Parts: sequence; C-alpha cells; structure tokens
Amino acid sequence: MTPDTAPPNERTDVEIDLGSEQATVDPALFEEAPAEPPFARTVHTTPLHIVTSAESRTNRWTDWNGYTVPDVLTDLGDEYRALRGAAALADHSPLVKYRIFGRDALDYLQRLVTRDLSALEVDTAVHVVFCEGSGLVLGDGLLFRLGEEEYRLVTEETHLAWMMDSAEGFRVGIADVGATLALLSLQGPLSALCLHEAGVANIDGLAPFAARWADIARMPVYVSRTGASGDLGYELWTDAEDAPHLWRHLMEKGAPHGLRATGFALRELARLEAGFPRAGRDYLSVLTAVASIDASTPFELWRSPSIATGKMVFNGGRALRSLASVPPRRRLVVLAADALEPVSLSSVLSGTRQVGTVTTYGFSPALGANIAFAMVEDEAAEGELALTATLREGLGAREVVLRARILREPAWNSARRLVLPAPLKS
Amino acid sequence: MKWGGVQYDAIVIGGGHNGLAAAARLASGGARVLLAEAGPCVGGAAVTSEITPGYSASAVAHLLEGFPRRIERKLKLHKHGLRYAARDVATVALDRDGHHILLPRTRKEFAGFRDLLPKDADVYREYVARRRALAEFVAPLLGERPPALNDPDALKRFLRRSVWRAALKGGSTMQSLLRVLPEAIGDRLDAEFESPLLKGALAFDATLGGAEGPYAPGTSFRAILREAMRMQGQGAMLPVGGMGAFSDALAASVAAAGGDVRVNARVMRILVEEGKAVGVELSGGIEVRAARVLSAIAPRTTMLDLVGARHVETDDLRELRHLVPRGTTAKINLALDRLPEFSGLAPELHGARLLIAPSLADLDEAANAARSGALPFEPVMEVLLPSVTDPLLAPEGQHVMSIIVHHVPHAMAGGWDAHREALMQRVVRMLGNYAPGIEDMMIAGEILTPPDIEEKYGLAGGDWHQGDIRLDRLFAFRPAPAYGRCETPLPGLWLCGAGSHPGGGITGLPGWLAADAVLSDGGSA
Repeated sequence: MTPDTAPPNERTDVEIDLGSEQATVDPALFEEAPAEPPFARTVHTTPLHIVTSAESRTNRWTDWNGYTVPDVLTDLGDEYRALRGAAALADHSPLVKYRIFGRDALDYLQRLVTRDLSALEVDTAVHVVFCEGSGLVLGDGLLFRLGEEEYRLVTEETHLAWMMDSAEGFRVGIADVGATLALLSLQGPLSALCLHEAGVANIDGLAPFAARWADIARMPVYVSRTGASGDLGYELWTDAEDAPHLWRHLMEKGAPHGLRATGFALRELARLEAGFPRAGRDYLSVLTAVASIDASTPFELWRSPSIATGKMVFNGGRALRSLASVPPRRRLVVLAADALEPVSLSSVLSGTRQVGTVTTYGFSPALGANIAFAMVEDEAAEGELALTATLREGLGAREVVLRARILREPAWNSARRLVLPAPLKS
Repeated sequence: MKWGGVQYDAIVIGGGHNGLAAAARLASGGARVLLAEAGPCVGGAAVTSEITPGYSASAVAHLLEGFPRRIERKLKLHKHGLRYAARDVATVALDRDGHHILLPRTRKEFAGFRDLLPKDADVYREYVARRRALAEFVAPLLGERPPALNDPDALKRFLRRSVWRAALKGGSTMQSLLRVLPEAIGDRLDAEFESPLLKGALAFDATLGGAEGPYAPGTSFRAILREAMRMQGQGAMLPVGGMGAFSDALAASVAAAGGDVRVNARVMRILVEEGKAVGVELSGGIEVRAARVLSAIAPRTTMLDLVGARHVETDDLRELRHLVPRGTTAKINLALDRLPEFSGLAPELHGARLLIAPSLADLDEAANAARSGALPFEPVMEVLLPSVTDPLLAPEGQHVMSIIVHHVPHAMAGGWDAHREALMQRVVRMLGNYAPGIEDMMIAGEILTPPDIEEKYGLAGGDWHQGDIRLDRLFAFRPAPAYGRCETPLPGLWLCGAGSHPGGGITGLPGWLAADAVLSDGGSA
C-alpha cells in the first residue's frame, strides 16, 4: 500500500469549555496535519519495486507519474539489444488504469472517445483518443473490453475529473485501479517464447490486440498482446500481491532465452522508435496546457486518427467534423538527424526560422541516427528541415545544426507485431 | 408522424405560460402545433386554485407585471376571455404605526407622498427617473432574441443600442449605468434615502424571487431590470378570475389558431435520430414526431432527463451544471371571513400590493436566515387581497388573501413538514402587526413552500426565475452560452421557458422569442 492511502493520524477532539474566561489553546492547532494528495510529497513505489530494485546495477531511478521506477537497470545498450534481439521485461505499473463498468458503460465510452466502439469485442483492445468540446485532445490510451459491461482504460495521465463529469446521466461506475493492478510489459521477438516457457498454453494463438486469462505458476494473469515497442509483445495484468512472484517466475524461465529486466529509458526509446507519442511529453492535454496554443487536435498528433463519422454523438465530435476538412496547423512528426553519436536536440529550423520544437529525442541504434518527436508547422514540414543540437565533449559544449529528415515509417516496425500465430522462435 | 390523424410541425413541451405563448405564436404563424402538458391543467405557475370550496386565489404568481402589450394584442387575449379586475395596481409599503407609504404613480399621489416624506420625496422622484432612464436602455433588449456571442457584428450592434446610446446621452448617464451594474441596492438606497420603510420597499422589489439580500452586489441592476420588465407591460395587472384565467385565455388563443393543447400528456423523452430531435415520446409509449421540439421546462431537466446525456457532449452539459434552481419564495393563500382592517390604510388601497418589508436590516436578516437554512424570524412579504377588486373569488363579503413570502429557504433541516406550521404562524403574527385580529378571520389556508411549488406546479426547484437574474446569466448567457439564443446543441430542439432570455416572471417573452426564432429558422430545416 502506498503511503497516501494509509489512514490519517487519528485525532481525538479536545474538549474546550466555552464558558471559561481563561484562554485555552487547542493543541490540535499545532499538530502537523497530514497533507492530502495530490499535494502530499510522498514517494510512491510500485508493487514491483522489490524485484526491480534487486535487479538494479546502476541505481538510476526516475519518476514516472509519481512512482519511482528504474531508469536504467544495467546498461541501456544491453537492454536495447535484449528488446530487439530477444525479450525485455519492464514494470509499467505507473500507467493510469480505470475500470469502467455498468449498464451504460458502452454508451458512456462511446460518448467519451472519438472512435466507434460498437465493434469492440470482449477480450480485445483498441487505441482511443478523447477530446473536449473544442476538439482538442485530453489524452489517449488503450481501451480493453473485459466483459459485456466492463472495460479498462489505460492512460498515461489521470483523467478522473473529466471522466466523472462526463458520467452525469449514465449508469456507470468508474474506479481508479492503478494501485491494485500491476502491469508487466514483456516485449521483443522472443516474448511469445518466454511466455510459452513460463507455462502459458497456446500463447502463439493470441491475436494482436486480443487478450485472455492465463494461469502462470498458479497465478491468474490477464495476458494481452499489446505494447508500444513496435515489435511482438505482451502485457501482463495481475494483482499487486502476485506481481513480484510473476516477475521472478518469468525471469527464471526467460533468462536462458535472453530475457532481461529493463527500465524506463528503454521504454521511451522503444516508443520513440515505434512512433507512439506520450501525453505530457509530446503533447499536452488541453486541461494541462496553460496556453491554448499548446493543446493539439487529434489531426496534429496522429496521421489518421480514428474518428467516428456520421450520427454518433461524442465529445468534440462537432468541432472535429469541421476540423477534419482543414489541414492541421502543425503536426507531430518523427525526425531523423544523422550523427554518429547521441546528441541533445532542441528546435527545428527551416532555413534560419524556427518552425518547431523537439519533444522527445534519443539515439536509435536501429537507424544509427538521432531521432526525435517534434511538433512542426505544417507548411514547413514539406521543405528542408534542420535540427539544432548540442554536442558535448568533455566539459565543453558545441551548438551545431544537423540536417534532418522526416521519417515516414517508424524506425522500428516489425512484421512480427501483427503476425498470427506469433513466432515462438527468433 | 401523426397522432390522432394530425401531422405536427412543432411540439411544445410544458404548458406553463411560456409554453402557451410559444405555442400560440407558432400556431398564429401557421405551424401545426402540439402542446403537451404533464399535469391536469395548463398554466404552470400561473393558475388559479381553490383554497377551500368557494374561495379561489392565484396559486403561485398573482399579478401580471411585465406581460407585453403587443403579445396580448397579437393573441387577441381579450377576445379569448382575458379581463382585468384592476389595472396598474398600486404599491403600498405598510407601516406598523399606520404611516403607510403609497409609492406614487400620479401627481396627486406624489403630493401625498411629499407630505409624508418631505425629505425623501425629491430624491425619490430623481431615483425613479434615473431608474426609468436606465431601464429604457435595457427594455428593448429584453424584448428581442439576444445576439449570437460569436458574431462580432451583431454584438457591436447590440452594444451600440445599449451602452453606446447611454454614452451618447451624456457622461452622467454612462456613469450611472457603469456604476449601477455591480452595485448593491442597499448601498445605493442608504446613500440617498432616509425613510427605512421606503428603502425596504424599494429593495424588496429589487430582490424578490432571488436568494440575494439587499446588500448583494448586482441587486441594483435587478431593480433596473425589473423596471425594464414592467415597461414591457402596462403596470401590475390583476386578471379577473386570477392567473388561471390568463392562462386559459392563452390556451384558448392557441386553440383558436389551430394548435392542439393536450393535458395529462407527460413527455417521457425527446426522440433523437441521427443527431437531431425528431419528436417526443409521451407517457404510455405514444411517439409523436415533428421537425421542431420546443421545451418550456427547465433547461437542465430537458437536456439531462428528456434528451439524455448520450446525445449531448460533456461540455454542453457541464455548462448547465450551475442551473440547479433553488426557489427562495413561499406562497400562502388564505380564505378570510371578512375584509381585514389594515390600521391606517385608506379603504381604496385595500386592493393594492401591500409590502411588508419594514427596513433594509429586516430584509438583510431574512436573507441571511434563509441562506443558512432557517426560517426568517420576521418574514418579509407581498400581500394582495384580489377579492377586493374581483369579488367572485370568494363568497359575498368574504375575502381571499394571497401572500408571497420572500427569503424562505428551499430546504429545511429535518424536512419541511416540521416547519410548515412555524412559517405559517410567523407570517400570521407578522400580518397581525398590521391587520390586528387577522388570525380570527382565517377560515382556511394553504402554504406552498419552494419544494411544494415544484411538486404541485412543476416549477423546477420552485424557483420563480428559473435561474438567477444576473447580468452574467442574461441575454446570450442565459441559461448558458451554448444555449443562449433559445437554441440547444441538439439541432431541432429549442428552449422556450423562463430558463432562457429574458427569464422569469409572467412575461411570455422567452416563449414568444423562441417561437419567433423557430419561425424565422423555418426555411433552413
């Protein structure tokens, strides 16, 4: 249990005699009041902290959604080779998870997200985007249909206030299950093999974006073929109590095949190579953007966002229908800049004019180039682009301008991601 | 679709006077209209009810103050049976010692007023003239559909006609307009007048129906608005047979123009197909279709309960979140076995609006009590004896008294049942200060708390105004920006109740303006 869910200190009320002329001081005034979340400064750890901290050889930690997670456990290069050549296991529990249930759950979600969910079958998942009335993006995430009237929405940031506001008039329940549901991400070409070795029968028969319950070492685990690595991969959803045991069991069975524990830095690199923008990093939710210019429409963020057309009413629908016909003012693109070593990138230039800003960057070993997510003005995106980079040598720093090109295809997009049956060999 | 073989162009939900006005306007404009009223009779809060057999009174609203002359003429309400028992009903501020103040309407009355209040008389004349001058800027804006918020040209024209006209009239007018917008009526009155009774009466009229006390910012503007609203009509009018007769005349004019008025026809939901309102489903599962649906009931209820959240975006519903109406006015109707004697009141003034609001402090106290959920110790109220001018309301020689009690909490701790009697006692005790022996004249009485008004007469929350009358809740902001011009985010659905501009009171204007908008929109749908 995380510290913020612990019960506050019990306070016994002190009797104060109102008739007394003597001044009395209520001692409770001087007691330290337990701060309430979200203002409390507490360190959250995930249910998997006990196993990830045992794996850490670098003591490099980072903050993800308020949780302490390993940034790099051993070496980013080694972890990357495991991900692209064998399999990588990571703790993704800090993702925000909502359970949405009740008679009107489908109707509620239909209005909440931009895509049409009527074809979503039980035990499958889709990528969803949700907007507010002006058509600006609040967030995106993965929506699982767990049962006839039960769904799970997994997002990068919290959206509870908006979801509660939207729930008015629907018979629907919304629960934040983030603290009780652990999430293990198993990605890489041998991930199916690792699960097979761990005792999941017929894992190769699980279709992309499908999910099912499995029994792994007598622990019930919900296995879904999802993940943002651009390769074959699975996500394992389990109780917080079972999670460390599941991790150890997977490591034990997978290590002979090259499975490695990995950290947050690799996740960022993998999603950059695979081309998945992250809320709060590559775009700002319209409710967090201080200036409205920082908020984005779905057309700016995704090449072909799934937006239901026709009769269905959904949040932002009216605005998006009119936005669909005009070209977006800017676009989130992946840029590649050729340089032999990792550099830090900041702004996008067209000639000498700044036409965009880099939001995430990293060195992609697959391309042998620096790649970056950047928000670029639409008109400039067709022309010659350059990136300003800072090269560090010893203590010195040097500003250089690198030629950049837009990647039309993700840096890593393996066919394995979508084949059925999933390969059990590399 | 047809119902009983008739095909309708428009359906009006709710047979309050605004719904009736909308239906009458639509019918006279050539549309085939169905008006569906859930209750057994039309009128909403403008109805006459029997206190006890033989004694009738206007159940809730009891005077016609701002019903526009042009609507009355256009609908030929006189032909449909509307008669007035009294026109331009006088207002008297009652004094415990018998020095009642008649708010003057004529030169002669003003002379009497000056004799009574030599110091305040000239100030009063100035005050009324200024209030009237400012109201003249607002009045035309109340009688028309507000401009679209996203149309800069329309806004410019709108401002030119109100604020800029004031600017052209000279610095002092502009100054007083700018000053009056945020001002509290209590502060203004304290600065100008001496007589506590006069101040109490003027502030009572400015705050009636709202939850704010006289020292709340913005109440000064409400006095202007009320004056502007009065300008739409021709002073306070008392219909023969009570307000129910007025509603019946409206219903008759709907019928005469070919519209259908159906009572006991509760609308269960508004049918939505392909993102448009296409009709309504009545209780019993009957579906009636029409290209346009107008709702005269509360905007929030319309969107949330009749349309349903799944057909409206979250933002559009969030805008209506503040609209949980909470009435702050109770109504008491009494049957009396003889005419009560108000000590010191001239006999011809027994038919006037009698205000019991002794001072600003009393008003403020009552407002504070109501806000903290308690009954005011000394209730402030508006008393009317309609049977003085309309003798048929009661048996010969006997009378009915209609009392609006201001600043009554919407919810009482422990429920209203435990407090109804206490409120009645306090009102009667207060009345007894002015009309001694009134408690012995009472034959029967009924008390309508805000929740009672909601339950019996369908007025959401029992709120007379259906949402605060404030500058930020008027014009295209009423009830909320997305619903401003009688339209809703759902094509085909319009709002025509007091929740829309220009708001509450028996004016018929929200219904009339919405119907005008629907008719002028005719070609596009």
